[in-house]
Amino acid sequence: VLIKESSNVRTIILNRTKQLNALSLEMISRLLEVFHAYEEDPNVKLIIMKGEGRAFCAGGDVAAVVNDINKGSWKLGANFFSKEFTLNYLMATYTKPQVSLLKGIVMGGGAGVSIHGRFRVVTDNTVFAMPETALGLFPDVGASYYLSRLPGFFGEYVGLTGARLDGAEMLACGLATHFVPLEKLSLLEDALCKANSGDPKIINSIINEFSNTNPKLKEKSQYFRLKTIDRCFSRRTVEQIISALVSYKKEKEADKNMDDWISWTIQSLKKASPTSLKISLRSIREGRLQGVGQCLIREYRMVCSVMQGEYSKDFFEGCRALLLDKDKNPKWNPSKLEFVSKDMVDRYFAALDDKDWEDLKLPARSNLPVYAISKL
Amino acid sequence: MEGGTASSVTIIILLPIFLPYPATPITQLPTIRLLHTVKFPLSDQLLMESSPPSSSPSSSPSMDRVNFRTQVLSRHLHHHPQTTDLLRTAPCLNYSPPELSNPPPNFDTKSLRKLLDGTSVEEIDYIFNLMIQSTLFCPRERGGKVFIAPDFNQSMEQQREMTVKRIEYLRDRGVFEGWFDKKGPEGDLWRFALAESVSVYDHSLGIKLGVHFFLWGGAIRFMGTKRHHDKWYKPTETYEVKGCFAMTELGHGSNVRGIETITRYDASTGEFIINTPCESAQKYWIGGAGNHATHTVVFSQLEINGVNEGVHAFIAQIRDENGNICPNVRIADCGHKIGLNGVDNGRIWFDNLRIPRENLLNSVADVSPDGQYLTEIKDPDQRFAAFLAPLTSGRVTIAASSMNTTKIGLAIAIRYSLSRRAFSIKPNEPEVLLLDYPSHQRRLLPLLAKTYALSFASNYLKMIYVNRTPQTIKTVHVVSSALKAVLTWHCMRTLQECREACGGQGIKTENHVGHLKSEYDVQLTFEGDNNVLMQQISKALLAEFLAAKKRNKPIRGLGLEHLNKPAPIIPTQLTSSTLRTTQFQTDIFCLRERDLLQRFVAEVSQLQAQGESKEHIFTVTYQTAEDLGRAFSDRLILQTYLDVEATVPAGSLKSVLGLMRSMYTTIVMEEDASFLRYGYLSTNNAAVVRKEVLNLCSELRPHALSLVSSLGIPDAFLAPIAFNWVEANAWSSI
Repeated sequence: VLIKESSNVRTIILNRTKQLNALSLEMISRLLEVFHAYEEDPNVKLIIMKGEGRAFCAGGDVAAVVNDINKGSWKLGANFFSKEFTLNYLMATYTKPQVSLLKGIVMGGGAGVSIHGRFRVVTDNTVFAMPETALGLFPDVGASYYLSRLPGFFGEYVGLTGARLDGAEMLACGLATHFVPLEKLSLLEDALCKANSGDPKIINSIINEFSNTNPKLKEKSQYFRLKTIDRCFSRRTVEQIISALVSYKKEKEADKNMDDWISWTIQSLKKASPTSLKISLRSIREGRLQGVGQCLIREYRMVCSVMQGEYSKDFFEGCRALLLDKDKNPKWNPSKLEFVSKDMVDRYFAALDDKDWEDLKLPARSNLPVYAISKL
Repeated sequence: MEGGTASSVTIIILLPIFLPYPATPITQLPTIRLLHTVKFPLSDQLLMESSPPSSSPSSSPSMDRVNFRTQVLSRHLHHHPQTTDLLRTAPCLNYSPPELSNPPPNFDTKSLRKLLDGTSVEEIDYIFNLMIQSTLFCPRERGGKVFIAPDFNQSMEQQREMTVKRIEYLRDRGVFEGWFDKKGPEGDLWRFALAESVSVYDHSLGIKLGVHFFLWGGAIRFMGTKRHHDKWYKPTETYEVKGCFAMTELGHGSNVRGIETITRYDASTGEFIINTPCESAQKYWIGGAGNHATHTVVFSQLEINGVNEGVHAFIAQIRDENGNICPNVRIADCGHKIGLNGVDNGRIWFDNLRIPRENLLNSVADVSPDGQYLTEIKDPDQRFAAFLAPLTSGRVTIAASSMNTTKIGLAIAIRYSLSRRAFSIKPNEPEVLLLDYPSHQRRLLPLLAKTYALSFASNYLKMIYVNRTPQTIKTVHVVSSALKAVLTWHCMRTLQECREACGGQGIKTENHVGHLKSEYDVQLTFEGDNNVLMQQISKALLAEFLAAKKRNKPIRGLGLEHLNKPAPIIPTQLTSSTLRTTQFQTDIFCLRERDLLQRFVAEVSQLQAQGESKEHIFTVTYQTAEDLGRAFSDRLILQTYLDVEATVPAGSLKSVLGLMRSMYTTIVMEEDASFLRYGYLSTNNAAVVRKEVLNLCSELRPHALSLVSSLGIPDAFLAPIAFNWVEANAWSSI
């Protein structure tokens, strides 16, 4: 993590380019420290967050987490997530504005350190995804808070399929607040430093100066599928979502203009871990009715259950197949949706049966801006 | 002329500022004078010169108040960007979220919610999700949060159309799939969960769906037989057929057996002929009939061969597929109502409408093609009871949804009272949070504890309903009558208290608490007028008592077994700790029920001995009957509470449940005059009870926020005043 100081502006640069700036425990600890310090420091008014190189941040470094767990105990993994989620909470309820410049890849944990902030600036090459269900995990880092608040049932779609969104789609659905063309991004950064202001209104108008307020959605954008997405992803269960998609596909079979979006959607659900899909859907649905703190506390329960691996080891299998062996052929267990009972899903949402384990304790917050109060 | 204008301007400025702070005249006067002379530049000066009240020891409290008001006022009047830095020191009320100022829950709020919503939690939350995510439910942002509620500014006709669109939206999401297929207790509980969760959004939506699925669908299901099920289940589930339920008439409501609509059979064509013989026989308040219903269940006297066989139910089509009213049917609107304007209540007249013989709902009685009346149950009283018994589900849903409405009101009022301040107790100190006033606690916290108690009772009612057998039908009837009345009354009372507790903000429709009263009010009347229902309890208890006596056997059922034991003894000198024991609480509630039942029996038999008729006796003994009905309900509610408490392992949740149980029993003793009237409490003990209410209030205070959070009503269904009401009303939000 690099930090650039320019009078009252601090630019935090994620700098682990080889791993596409994936967040290590060390980086997360550093970010926590810095964010805590800047909140107290009257000399800091604005935080800019960006990534060095091609990506903003490809996520949490789960390969390292799995490695730690394999060598030691699942509690090392729990420690990683406890720090990461605390950081997410701090950002979501931060008293000073954070502008994230989202160039390139923004996935998983990368979304966690940006989407909770006040301003999210996307650009021409931004690629966003929450790909956890393919990895045997679930959209965490507070995703059950922000995905569930996207229009209609787009959040369920993004969270369950791991669909990739570009900058224009992110702006359209509300994950991003501004779209700034790639070539203007560094000018914006300079302008923000020069303005040296912590007033959200001023920051907003500066970003607006560089923004393209209505970037064109690509012709085949999935955002044009919102109606179908709403119809199918609003169903009660993952099974019903899939069967709604399948019957929609059948309905449209005769339609020559149909592209492979629907097939891709069904395929991505069939490839994902059945356990992951079920706990992810429930997490988003519960998250919709909860504040950001409650979301993170619940997700922490869930992630600890996943790390503990008592009910399913899909996360380790997913990491093996996609990150370590790279055979892209995970063997999920349970292997089918119907084998994942409601009772099994329930366990991910309950407190862990371990005498040393505790629910996530979030730091006390005060003097929050209106923007943050509404997330509680 | 000018002077008059000036003073009226002053009043306009003063009103919004002074209404919430009724200060003494002395402190008001100088402020008013200042207001007259304040000019904008001067107010700047005032701001700069006056130091914060706390650091000016020389000035008198009233002058501090004047300064404070002046500063607040100049801030209101003044909108100058350059003065930002000056204003930083100006006193200004900020919203502080209760989450940050209250201790975190010391018990698991999820577990408590589970005690309320049981296995239905997921289904309820799913329906909430569906409603929150659709623009049809009118989401609007206030103070940084999104709230959903119907647009009550729409005309009656627009509101009705929106209700139908919302039903169709839910149908298109597959919400009602399997409505008639899901069997057993799980099926019933699922249907209840659906009905309750939509009512949390809007009563009109709940009622419109309830009429279609529970009343029309329930009549087909329970009063009909296979031929009706085969024909009507599918189109009812898909809302292709829109059903309504024509029972009430202009002249007859609670007295269903007195209705005047008459149906005769024409054997030559195999048809029934339904007729409205007079104006008082017009069907009235028929939900759905006004605009949309295509079919109705008609309740009517059945006359066969000149003999009146009593009230029967028939299916009649009233509109064609294009929505045109059928021949021989006349329909008129019931017009604008005090609430529920999203439901199209209508009036129906039948002009010798002919329907096929098969349209008689024939579960209890039938008419053969040649016109013979056939029934298994010879006694008309029994036949009528068997016929109507399945409709108890309506009372169960009303009781249950009354609890949701109560929860909404309390969550809003209590959250508001945890962020709204009024009056300083000491000069120069911040104003006090509403809920830190013992009087405000006394207004809201007993209602909160009571709501938990009544919610558990409502769950008990649901469970005995879904597990009903022919042997328990009587219990279901008595318990549903009692709880429907007690719970809906509690709901109205709570909403009124919440409205008052929110002050002026309670008046705004968007804040729900006031408006919900008129939306909810009718529930005290339909599906059994509360007062009529309460009288039925005492009659039923009397019958049980006399039957047991006649058989010379111990009394059993309805929780009356305690009558077989010796009367409990109440300690002569009550203490705080005695009041909190389950033993004492159970004893005094049982004693009251037992004694009132005996008094009622004595009263009735005395009148009987004087040769009075049964009907006359019940009309003159209503006072004791009313007290007895209450005593029965309260004892039943306590019993169900204890049963729930017993399922919870020892720990912090159990202790807070214990606290609320004590609050519930103590407040009942304090509020119901019968404890003093009949001497179950001495005047000394009544004073101890009263004092204990205060203690319990202050002990519940730290849990208030966690207890309302556990109610499980999502933020989106609450109101702007429950959250950042300063921001929700800020100029920038206009």
